[in-house]
Amino acid sequence: MTRLYIKVVMMLVLFSVAGLALAHGERNQEPFLRMKTLHWYDIKWSIENDSTVQVNEEVTMSGKVHFFSRWPEQINMPDTVFLANATPGPVFVRVGTWLNDVPMIQSTGVEVGRVYDFKVVLKARIPGRHHVHPMFNVESAGGLVGPGIWMNIAGDANDFLYGVETRTGIVIEDLETYGVENVVKWHAFWAILAVLWLAWWVRRPLLINRFLWVKDNNWSALITRTDMMVGGILLVFIITVLIVANQITEKTYPRTVPLQGGKVEVQYVPNPEEGLVEVKNHTSEYYLPGRTITIDATITNNTGKVIQIGEFMSSNLRFVNKKLPIAMAGVDEGYPAELVPNKGLILSDDSPIQPGESRRLRMEATDVAWETERLSSLLNDPDSSYGALIFFFDEEGNRYTSEIYGQILPTFFDK
Amino acid sequence: MSLTAEEAKLLKAISVPNSDAAKIVRNFDWIVVVVLLFAVTAAFHIHFMLTAGDWDFWVDWKDRMYWVTLTPMILVIIPAALSYPLMHKLGLPIAGTVCGLCLVIGEWVSRISGFHLWAYFPYSLVWPAIVLPGLMLMDLFYMLFRNVFLASVFGGGAVAMAFAPANWPILAPYHVPVVHIEQLVNVADVIGYSFTRTATPEYLRFIERGTLRTFGGESTLVSTFFSAFVCMILFYMWWRIGQFLSNLGTIPNQLKTFVGLEADKDEAK
Repeated sequence: MTRLYIKVVMMLVLFSVAGLALAHGERNQEPFLRMKTLHWYDIKWSIENDSTVQVNEEVTMSGKVHFFSRWPEQINMPDTVFLANATPGPVFVRVGTWLNDVPMIQSTGVEVGRVYDFKVVLKARIPGRHHVHPMFNVESAGGLVGPGIWMNIAGDANDFLYGVETRTGIVIEDLETYGVENVVKWHAFWAILAVLWLAWWVRRPLLINRFLWVKDNNWSALITRTDMMVGGILLVFIITVLIVANQITEKTYPRTVPLQGGKVEVQYVPNPEEGLVEVKNHTSEYYLPGRTITIDATITNNTGKVIQIGEFMSSNLRFVNKKLPIAMAGVDEGYPAELVPNKGLILSDDSPIQPGESRRLRMEATDVAWETERLSSLLNDPDSSYGALIFFFDEEGNRYTSEIYGQILPTFFDK
Repeated sequence: MSLTAEEAKLLKAISVPNSDAAKIVRNFDWIVVVVLLFAVTAAFHIHFMLTAGDWDFWVDWKDRMYWVTLTPMILVIIPAALSYPLMHKLGLPIAGTVCGLCLVIGEWVSRISGFHLWAYFPYSLVWPAIVLPGLMLMDLFYMLFRNVFLASVFGGGAVAMAFAPANWPILAPYHVPVVHIEQLVNVADVIGYSFTRTATPEYLRFIERGTLRTFGGESTLVSTFFSAFVCMILFYMWWRIGQFLSNLGTIPNQLKTFVGLEADKDEAK
């Protein structure tokens, strides 16, 4: 009894100290999967972070997603991907998903180094506080999630209704319950028949008697002529039910189609501005005590316009150059604060980069997020390198994006 | 094999209706039945969940090819193995029925508690397949023929031959065509797409991706016949395994002497 008390107390202690696991474990994903695969930006949600919607209300997530050119070798190329939403199960219903305006019920293939516009429309179903992300499932890599916000659903789950109209004119008012009564009815029918067949045998002595009769060479007497007759009738009955039920079903549903398993083709939209600014990584360091990544890079401006560095973005973390108003304007008020580090992006040279100019400079991205987002663990990777996007802006407000890639050199302590 | 004198005495005693011996034996029957139901439910359910798995979990995995082909093969294994001891040691042609019923009970418990109440999936997405008609036919053919070869051909084959027809009345409403966000799909596709399974994207579905080219689109029929052929072989194989395991006998319990009992002498016979 004492042991039981100890176990109960230990369990209570465990519950009291354990943190709530509310999100989707995205921080547990290897850093290379978050830094060198997808870069999500211009993400918009139709509601504010932590605001409330009613059951049956729709919310929309949209934005751009960039598939990194230096796609990790250890996972498949993104030839089979599926646009989805990362939510705690079906608390929202997925109404529609589009990639470059192409409906995405099926999977598709994408090209690395390209940017795609996505849109996900969800409908609130189960009340509660839920963390909601856009997500791409990539074959062999798993789910790669974009930035998420909290959404509260209020109301009664029983009020949820989601229907469709079939091509044959059947109006399905509620997909949750469609066909379920029929399923239960047929399961019950066969279960009752099975119970009756078992009862036929169980009503007689079962084990010791029969075992001894078999041992006494009376096995053939255990199954009587009546048993055979009942069994024969049951056999014919089962086969008849199967035939008749299928004939009725064929008449009721003359038009059916198999599960659709084709792949959708999505064309990328050419972005002439992408890559006009060349970025070459010389050295990149992670300074562990200060939680700082310092990048020494040469930037070559081929845009024909004067540009400035606006943002360094990787793994949904946005280090924004706070001295550049247009870059700051790109951060919506409702954007998850934990993904926009306070210090922003510090540059060794803030002055505008002239057309045709090549400039070597240092960028510093400092924040505890490197640790809290568990990105510093990339130092444990066999390939301890990073990938990111850098956003540049010209004086007219045009944006240019460039990829940067390089190895990370660790600095573990102050010299 | 004939009875020992003690066994003959026991058989005589328990064969007297309403005798104390008969009542004790009957109570023993019920205890074993209850224990057996739990054991078979646990064993068959976990076997089925681990092997049929997603094909049985989700309505948008129940296709014309893999689901129809694989499920009966997985279904026939344990009932075939149990057929030997139940039929040959006890004269009970109920192995398939017991297994099927236990599986259905286990599945509905899992779907209601785990899938629906815990994870919010609607029943329209997660209903389990109907398995009982084929397994009952297996028992009936075995009883009528009382021959393992014929039982394999007709009984084993029936598990597969009855599977698609038994499920079509409940599956057909989900295969009605729908145009959803400008795409042709069926109702099952829409349900699978709408009710998010975060870690189960569309491409993970192991379903028919193109018709069997030379069979005029008759995927279900071809899959069923192929499955039936394999089920015949599987029934025989697993019936033999059941026979082998049932006749293993026992080995002397060496531990008895440690607790002061007399050591076994003749159990290995």
